Amino acid sequence: MAEFLAQYSIQRWMEMCPQGYLEDTVYGHEPDAREPDELLADDDEREAAIRTTVSLVVGERCALAASSGLINAAPDHASKRFLATQTLDEARHVEIFTQRLYDLGVKKDDLESTINRYANPNLVKFAETLLEKVDAGDFVAGVVGQNIVLEGMAFTVFELLETGNREFNPKFSQTLKGTIADERRHVGFGENRIGSLIQQHPEKKPEIERMQQEMTYYMLATFSDSFSNVDPKSRPQPDAATGEADFHGTNLATATPEEMEAVLANTVLGEFKSRLARVGLEYQTPTVPA
Amino acid sequence: MTTVDVDDFDPHALTEQDFLDQVHSFQFWFDSVEGYLTDRPYGRPDATVEEPIDDARRDRLITSLCNYCVGETAALDGAAGLVQLAPDRNSKIFMATQVVDEARHLEVFLHRLRELGVGDPEREIERRAQPALVDFKGALLDLVAEGDWQAAVFAQNVILETMEYTVFRLHASTADAVTKDVLAGVIADERRHAGFGENDLGRALAIDPSGRVRLREIRTRLDAMVLGVFEAALADIGAPVEGHRQLASEYLDTVERLGLT
Repeated sequence: MAEFLAQYSIQRWMEMCPQGYLEDTVYGHEPDAREPDELLADDDEREAAIRTTVSLVVGERCALAASSGLINAAPDHASKRFLATQTLDEARHVEIFTQRLYDLGVKKDDLESTINRYANPNLVKFAETLLEKVDAGDFVAGVVGQNIVLEGMAFTVFELLETGNREFNPKFSQTLKGTIADERRHVGFGENRIGSLIQQHPEKKPEIERMQQEMTYYMLATFSDSFSNVDPKSRPQPDAATGEADFHGTNLATATPEEMEAVLANTVLGEFKSRLARVGLEYQTPTVPA
Repeated sequence: MTTVDVDDFDPHALTEQDFLDQVHSFQFWFDSVEGYLTDRPYGRPDATVEEPIDDARRDRLITSLCNYCVGETAALDGAAGLVQLAPDRNSKIFMATQVVDEARHLEVFLHRLRELGVGDPEREIERRAQPALVDFKGALLDLVAEGDWQAAVFAQNVILETMEYTVFRLHASTADAVTKDVLAGVIADERRHAGFGENDLGRALAIDPSGRVRLREIRTRLDAMVLGVFEAALADIGAPVEGHRQLASEYLDTVERLGLT
């Protein structure tokens, strides 16, 4: 375990992240990159972009609260140190997505009211379910909720958004690439560290699986709400070279909102099942399908 | 990340909100640490040569480093809790940068202990930890658990950081070359943390001076504990009597600036 945790040291993080893939970026993108003029000029598209970005801020605020809250509950110094890097990663994500809201024209004084206006209530409940475990100092449940469920969802959502924006909005796409690289590290830590802790505490499995079931319910409800609000004009743009924006076999440029929701949900749930199985947990289908 | 010359940064040219947006950001943190952490694995340049250390000095150094680890673990747990309590986004982001700073300090001190031949640092830390420091850690985390942002910032970013800043500087002035390099990066971080504490509390107390009464009470409760801890730390590093005076003077200057004498 010590050797595995050495891969998650501050030293390694410094070399990979700020001195690696974030080198020469400002708020996660090239200094001169801007939001596309077409997006800023179209009120409907701009509102859709604000709505999407608010969801990212809400998710990242939850991740920041959870990762910092888990430090005190961590059973060893190496886990504390990894969670410290995750805390700063999540704070950076809050910062860059908040900055995107400003870039989209949200005034600083209107930030909180904008977030309150557009925050999806199901996503808020998803966050509350996780933070309840964190507040109780439950390290094992907290890491499963944070590094497998929340990060697993974020990872796939970011991939979908990155694919869809690669040609249309290179600034947002690059911002997302940096967060995807971060999330990949976080998910890796969760799987590795939690596997051994679940083996030591098998009695915790039912409670953790219940939490996963509840979080999954709210996640699917959030997806459902989000795709029912999709403006056809704001869908991801086709890749200029190929005429496609392929995401797990679905062309996002031509897919209906229902098809996009389905491919996103199926991809996330597939990831959940395999990741949970790797740490010795069984995926639980939500009680009431969203 | 794009480098901003933080030495040319003029905080007085900014409005208060713009100042907070810049200083309490990941971007500013990275621009600050990049200068003194790039190409320094575990806080030291590869070129620094280990100098011979006799057994007695090595043993004292191990005791100091073990207690630094206790202090840094307290600071890490404390800062992590303060992320939750922070009243605004800027403060949350600053505290997140402090979390990773404190974790880095813990890591470089643990690494230095291993370099000095300590096979099981965790056990050694437990064996050599000063009870008063462990008590201070408990008192700090109690304030965090109570959700008292001002009191916890005072205990962590004013009291603990000022004391560490002074002890580490005194230690660096007499330390072996490798330990001196490691301490240099830590000292630069502590300066930022202490600055945040003084700035945050200074602004809050200027708006609502009544908070001073409560912070004075907390100071009275923690003073004896903390001064005892750092007296022992100064003895471990063999600091001269002037060092003890310097410690008292820097701490008193800070609390005086906040009107807490």
